[in-house]
Amino acid sequence: MSEQAQMISQMRDLMDKTLQRSMKGFEYIRSSATQVGLTPKELIYHDGTLKLYHYYPVEDEVYRIPVMIVMATTNKGYLFGLRPGQSIVEYLLNNGFDVYMVDWDPPTMAEKNLALADYTHRFLPDCVNEVQKHSGIEDINILAYCMGGVLSLIYAATHQDGPLRNLVCLTTPINQHEMGLFHLWSSEMDVDTLVDAMGVIPAEFIASSFEMLRPAQKTAGRLRLWDQMWNDDFVKSYQAFNRWGDETLPLAGQYFKDSTNELMLGNKLFKGNLMVNGDKVNLKNVTVPIMAVMAEHDHIATYGATKPLLDLVGSEDKRELVLKGGHVSLIAGPNAARRMWPAVNEWLGERSV
Amino acid sequence: MADNKTPDPSQQFQEWVSQWERSFDEFSNRLMGTEEFSKSMNQMQTMQMEFQRQFGELMARQLATFNMPSRDDVVALGEDIRNLDRRIAQIERALGTLLHNESDAITRKPGPARTRKPPGAGKDTAEDNKS
Repeated sequence: MSEQAQMISQMRDLMDKTLQRSMKGFEYIRSSATQVGLTPKELIYHDGTLKLYHYYPVEDEVYRIPVMIVMATTNKGYLFGLRPGQSIVEYLLNNGFDVYMVDWDPPTMAEKNLALADYTHRFLPDCVNEVQKHSGIEDINILAYCMGGVLSLIYAATHQDGPLRNLVCLTTPINQHEMGLFHLWSSEMDVDTLVDAMGVIPAEFIASSFEMLRPAQKTAGRLRLWDQMWNDDFVKSYQAFNRWGDETLPLAGQYFKDSTNELMLGNKLFKGNLMVNGDKVNLKNVTVPIMAVMAEHDHIATYGATKPLLDLVGSEDKRELVLKGGHVSLIAGPNAARRMWPAVNEWLGERSV
Repeated sequence: MADNKTPDPSQQFQEWVSQWERSFDEFSNRLMGTEEFSKSMNQMQTMQMEFQRQFGELMARQLATFNMPSRDDVVALGEDIRNLDRRIAQIERALGTLLHNESDAITRKPGPARTRKPPGAGKDTAEDNKS
């Protein structure tokens, strides 16, 4: 193609996109909230802030061992089932897994005293029992994200005789002194005063902490949205991610205090001197097959914070997967669909018979 | 070649946005990564919390004057309801166990067979293992 012809073609394309941008921009402004987390499921257990869902299997033949997803306590679990085609839950179901999910509702003021131990020694064991009863299978696999991974590791290390068979930790921060600004801000924070005053740490506080790590992200996102307004798939994906980000959850005060003092400042999970509910949490006691997935450009659970996991656990069967991308795109971004989901499917599938 | 010489405005815009985002974040992180910033942020938070606490106490006193429930009263009521909810759930579970999950057997369809085997092992691991 000659240079002139190419310029004409580009001009035509530019005008076409500008026109579509204007038309679809109006549609975008008028559109109602994006539908997310539509994969069919049923609530099988709840206890205050805790909700346990079972996704309806789609295959006639599934793996023997069910998989329980443990969501991070700061966000809603529908990140794992954002929208059709952008959902690891859908992918796992289509590949023959029986999938459950531990999800969280905003804790109420009545739950302000929920401690780290309540999550690791009450909520998770209760969910494991419920999955056992519901599926009729003794064994269980856990696939956990971020703080969900920390809770699952504490559970695994302190319930060695439990039914856990395989553990997948997605971007799980272990060495929390490597969490950059989060660690610095925590070290200057008067956690006790904050928790005493608030009871439950508001969602806005949590969300603004995340946003302050990448202050330009929202504006840049909007600029990218404007540029890509003609692209329906991009717009839908943006809306879904945006809604998820806006629905950050508040945290129970005592749990926030425990996480900050013991995990972030004391770095006790990494050092091996964490005590929860009277149990010493030694990661060497985690002996089940384990897969650690981490993101190279994760600005929340940084690569340095997530990297030490496999060196600290006692498991012999270990698998590490490092992907390009960030904290959220690791779960539902294009690279997740291309590499992370198939890798988890294969690793877990081989161990779920 | 001519194809490589003509710039794509959309791509240029995306690159500019990415570059701006990166440099703005780097600048902000340098600014926020100082002890002084953390200390000031903490001081502001503490002041805000203290104000909120005092305002809450004042409001509670005002509501008591008008014989209206305070936030704490409503929270306590919520806790009672939640406890009741939890007890009902426990009773439901106990009943279910007593009845040998009869109702479940009637309403729930038999699940899929748990006999699935993984497809041919080690087919697409090569690329992943490079990471």
